[in-house]
Amino acid sequence: MSAPPPGPAAVRARRPALRAPGAQPLLAVVLLAVSAVCALSLGTPDVPPHRLVGAVLEGDTTLAGIVVTELRVPRLVLALVAGACLGAAGLVLQEALRNPLAVPEMLGVSSGAALGVAAPLVLALSLPAAVQPLLAIGGAVLGGGLTLLAAGLGRSPSAVLLTGAAVAAALQAALLVLMVMADQLDLQLIYRYLLGSLSARTWDDVTGLWPWLLVAAPALVVCAPVLSVMRLGDEDAEALGVRAQRARLAALAIAVVLIAPVTAVCGPVAWVGFLAPHLARWFNPGAGAVRWLCWSAVWGAVVVTAADVPARLALAPVETPVGAWTALLGVPAGVALMRSGGRTRARRATAGSTAVPAPVPGVRAVPSGAGAPRDAHAEKSGGGGPAGARPAPAGPTGTEDAR
Amino acid sequence: MSRRFGALTALAVVCAVVELVAGRGMSPGTVWEVLGGGGDATERHILLNLRVPRLLVALGAGACLAVAGLVLQSALRNPLAGPEVTGVTPGAVLGAVTATALGLAGWDSPLAVVLAACAGGCAGAALLWLLAGRGRGDPAQTAVQGVLVSAVLGGLTAMVLLVEPGELGSVVQWLVGTTEGRVWEHWHLLWPWALVWGAAAWLLAGPLTLLRCGDDIALTAGLAARRARTLALLCAVALTAGAVAAVGALGFVGLLVPHLAVALFGADLRKSLPGAALVGAVVVCGADAAAQLSSRLLAAGLDSGRLTLPVGALTAGLGAALLLVVVRRTPSRSF
Repeated sequence: MSAPPPGPAAVRARRPALRAPGAQPLLAVVLLAVSAVCALSLGTPDVPPHRLVGAVLEGDTTLAGIVVTELRVPRLVLALVAGACLGAAGLVLQEALRNPLAVPEMLGVSSGAALGVAAPLVLALSLPAAVQPLLAIGGAVLGGGLTLLAAGLGRSPSAVLLTGAAVAAALQAALLVLMVMADQLDLQLIYRYLLGSLSARTWDDVTGLWPWLLVAAPALVVCAPVLSVMRLGDEDAEALGVRAQRARLAALAIAVVLIAPVTAVCGPVAWVGFLAPHLARWFNPGAGAVRWLCWSAVWGAVVVTAADVPARLALAPVETPVGAWTALLGVPAGVALMRSGGRTRARRATAGSTAVPAPVPGVRAVPSGAGAPRDAHAEKSGGGGPAGARPAPAGPTGTEDAR
Repeated sequence: MSRRFGALTALAVVCAVVELVAGRGMSPGTVWEVLGGGGDATERHILLNLRVPRLLVALGAGACLAVAGLVLQSALRNPLAGPEVTGVTPGAVLGAVTATALGLAGWDSPLAVVLAACAGGCAGAALLWLLAGRGRGDPAQTAVQGVLVSAVLGGLTAMVLLVEPGELGSVVQWLVGTTEGRVWEHWHLLWPWALVWGAAAWLLAGPLTLLRCGDDIALTAGLAARRARTLALLCAVALTAGAVAAVGALGFVGLLVPHLAVALFGADLRKSLPGAALVGAVVVCGADAAAQLSSRLLAAGLDSGRLTLPVGALTAGLGAALLLVVVRRTPSRSF
């Protein structure tokens, strides 16, 4: 909380110590450091942390040096970059669609990108490596476009989510059919890739990402302030001179440019784009979109790096895909964060009835920061589920209410 | 109304005939001969022990999925709810895959796989129950939580498959949904289950019609809305688990067939539930026949015998297209 709420003292007293100012950077740095050291030193051969620097300096003269510099460092860098991209993209999507559940997986974006990459693999078309991100982008646009075309831009979160789930399922089915056509050997490789895996990635893969990042980073900087305005609702945003629909499409394009290259390199690492933004929100409920964007990128990097450690070591010598771990841990954690975040935010009581044709503030998960007394109804029902998953009985085009 | 039922029944018969003659290795004339009691031992075996059970399983699973979807959509009052978003389908897949990976069940013993899939499906539903239990009674939320539960279960399935890569090839077909290699044993397991739960669903048709109108109206009419919804969800879960255990994760049938059924038979579930069962059976059976025909064409075109198109691929392709239409048509306030 940037400003402690002037609510009842009990509210402040019950705030977990984790959310104290300053706790977030500390926690992020510690987690990142621990997982980075684990990523560099554990495995076969074990390189004790105090020998890491020596090993890197020795470079390619000793076995440990080669393993660390040629395999583990690029993998770590890739995890950081991929996580940051996915986290940032997740926040951009969620803010642009004003939908706390708008995540790449659920919009068909990830599945589409994976389809674009996997199809030539299965059909045994040899393509230059530079084309892969383009194919991924094409697929991502296809998947996301299909979902948004079907659901419409301003539909309620659950409508977008369910449509996206169906579109993603269709794309997955297409992928599986391709896999049925593939040889057994390819099958393994493709399946691993489809879940998102960082195994056997080298410096080449990392260098392939930079050009895309150079495009996406400035775009992010430009779009962050617009995102803050978008949160006010379409009508208010237009009053402030932002063309809402156009801005939304631009944000989606940025998200695609962030997600697709990462997917092309290491597959769709699932649910990072869901967990990272919610972590960022949970730690700074009162901040604006710009700060959330930075922290989403940081948390994304932390999550992927941390998840890659068990992915590499849990069932050694078999590597598990990092995407499976992020899905397993990310979904429950994200939902829990959404619930607790929603509870400490001020919300107008919606009486829990779907039949009341009133705009639902919970849909937008906008923290009003100013600590109004908490929603007693939500308290009783244990948070009543994800803040954003409340029914939106009347959400015509997202231009619902101006407060 | 009865004319529509009649037309659909005729359509089902046509699909069934096509399904019987669509497979490889026998000419339609031979099929006719075998049905008349002739043919040699091989041909008789192919038709009576492979194609007929396959046809029956396709019909039964289609009917189950469609009824489950309609019950779900009515109970949750959400036109986009389907068996896929209840956690049942991924749960059943996970159960089957896990049992196979642990060596408890081979793909050659249908009974064990079906039981494992059923257990998994019920576990998936229970997980959703736990998640949604506290905020129960809020349909939109339940649907969303179902999606999240499905995602987690999908991650688990992936883990199991990667630890036991040997199973991958045989499981992939199952992940899409297929009627390949279904035998009498599958059918004997499916029909009693489908009959019991189908009857239960039909008994719930009246309360469900009220639930479709909204909780307030249902309560005004004297219906215990929450209890009715709980029973309906139980029904839908059971039907889905049975169908998925029989044919795998057949996508989109449970999501879209209900819309067709309601368009054909109106929103009174006492008519449209049996209608949905019929439409679902026709759709899955027709899709399976089409899949077999296209497999033959593909095999002839590509000159490779091992290429088979699973029926799930077709339903998913058709489903995605239909979904666009359905979502565009439904007014946004109904979510």
